[in-house]
Amino acid sequence: MAIISAMYPIAEQVGASRIVKAVSIPHPCGDPSLPSEVDARLRREIVETALKAIHAEVKQPTLFYPNISATV
Amino acid sequence: MRLDLAEFPVSRIVLGNKFQYQSGTLEVDAETLARDLLKDPRIREAKVAVAYPGEKVRITGIRDVVEPRVKTQGSGQVFPGVLGPVAPVGEGTTHRLSGMAVVATAEFEGAVRAGTGVQRSAVLDMWGAGAEISRYGSLVNLVLILRLAGGLPDLEAHLAVQKAELHAARRLAEVTLGKEPQKVETYDLARKNRDLPTVVLIQGCLTESHQFHSGVAYYGLSIRDSLATFAHPNELLDGAVTVNTTRGIGYFPNTWDWQNHALAMELYRRHGKELNFAGVALERVRFETYHGKEVTAHNAAHLAKTLGADGAVVTWLGSGNAFVDVMLTLRACEQRGIKTVLVTYEYGGKDGVDSPLLYYVPEAQAVVSTGSRDRWVELPAPEKVIGPYEEIRVLNYPGAPLTPASGPLTFDARDMVIGGVDNWGRQSWTCRAY
Repeated sequence: MAIISAMYPIAEQVGASRIVKAVSIPHPCGDPSLPSEVDARLRREIVETALKAIHAEVKQPTLFYPNISATV
Repeated sequence: MRLDLAEFPVSRIVLGNKFQYQSGTLEVDAETLARDLLKDPRIREAKVAVAYPGEKVRITGIRDVVEPRVKTQGSGQVFPGVLGPVAPVGEGTTHRLSGMAVVATAEFEGAVRAGTGVQRSAVLDMWGAGAEISRYGSLVNLVLILRLAGGLPDLEAHLAVQKAELHAARRLAEVTLGKEPQKVETYDLARKNRDLPTVVLIQGCLTESHQFHSGVAYYGLSIRDSLATFAHPNELLDGAVTVNTTRGIGYFPNTWDWQNHALAMELYRRHGKELNFAGVALERVRFETYHGKEVTAHNAAHLAKTLGADGAVVTWLGSGNAFVDVMLTLRACEQRGIKTVLVTYEYGGKDGVDSPLLYYVPEAQAVVSTGSRDRWVELPAPEKVIGPYEEIRVLNYPGAPLTPASGPLTFDARDMVIGGVDNWGRQSWTCRAY
């Protein structure tokens, strides 16, 4: 299991195992202020990071960072 | 900046046919006051009532609470940027009617039907458990009962209620013009003692930048995505900070609380004796990214450091993720060598065994709890209901059922009572470990 969260330090504090850094509280999986095609790449990157996170072996709360700069 | 606050205590309010003050009795010309309020076409009905502590009275539909004040010397007038022009305040002389409040109630159905902006049950009991948990239960309350014109947008409704209550508050305080106060207190930050530590009050303000009113306004301007800014405590005393008057949520301070900020007043009492109070940092909290929360935290700590802080009293208003910004502020202060103490309410669930705080940092080593917001409260039936609503919504989701205000009520959280959450530690709570 992985959680996509903009408040990732809280997820860490409560002991979530796999945490994917999200964009913002109202828009965790994208950024509507971006042009739609850029937003689409960002959304895809976040979801793919989450899928990778699910497959990863972890022993403690671990943060996974989507490569946001690559999408802009 | 030196302000003399002249106190005229009120223990009795008489609804009569003139405005006057004599030895603790305030006479109010209710008819003239109501007629004045009705000059605003957004208000279609205005009535006035009085509620005393100890009476079995329940007040419904509360939108704000305000203390009557008027400036008699110095620039500007109370509630600058709202009642009058934006003019500097905080200097000169201000008269206050203490021991009483104007309680603004209004019938109005807001367009916001869910989330943090939604209006609440907003009741106050003047006796029993409800009065005990609210700081307003011990005041003599002059209640304005307003009904607004139909179809008003939320912003217009807010402006109508706010103008009515602030106008009434200033009009009432004018009865003291030319009279001798019972007591005068002087508020002056410039009188310092160099051997004492400097302390700043960092006031975290949850503001909702997307709402028509963000929840906290400085000289009438909603604080939105602002970074921290300095406010002189004397500005608070003169009503420079005002609130959204449509919601009636127990965990948001009302105008009365900003005028009588419990922590600012206590820091002032110790000013020059135990510490040097260096003023208030208004820090907007509830940024929507972690990055934003980190930046506002560092910015507030930087402002405190610039003000020469050795210590900071950190507090906040609001709920939810805004608390992360507050915790990060404690950390940012400690990293700069500013010792911190946090003053906050806690959650904990109805039995007090759940997590009391949403988030914490190891740097938060001194925390003062002002009590749980989550405890159930049973309110017995009143003998009389004052206010625009005979029936209230205990829960605030769209289509929630109506409950008679004249019957007993069970609330599963204290924020459903106006003043039910003690944000800044005004009340004398105590704690016992089992």
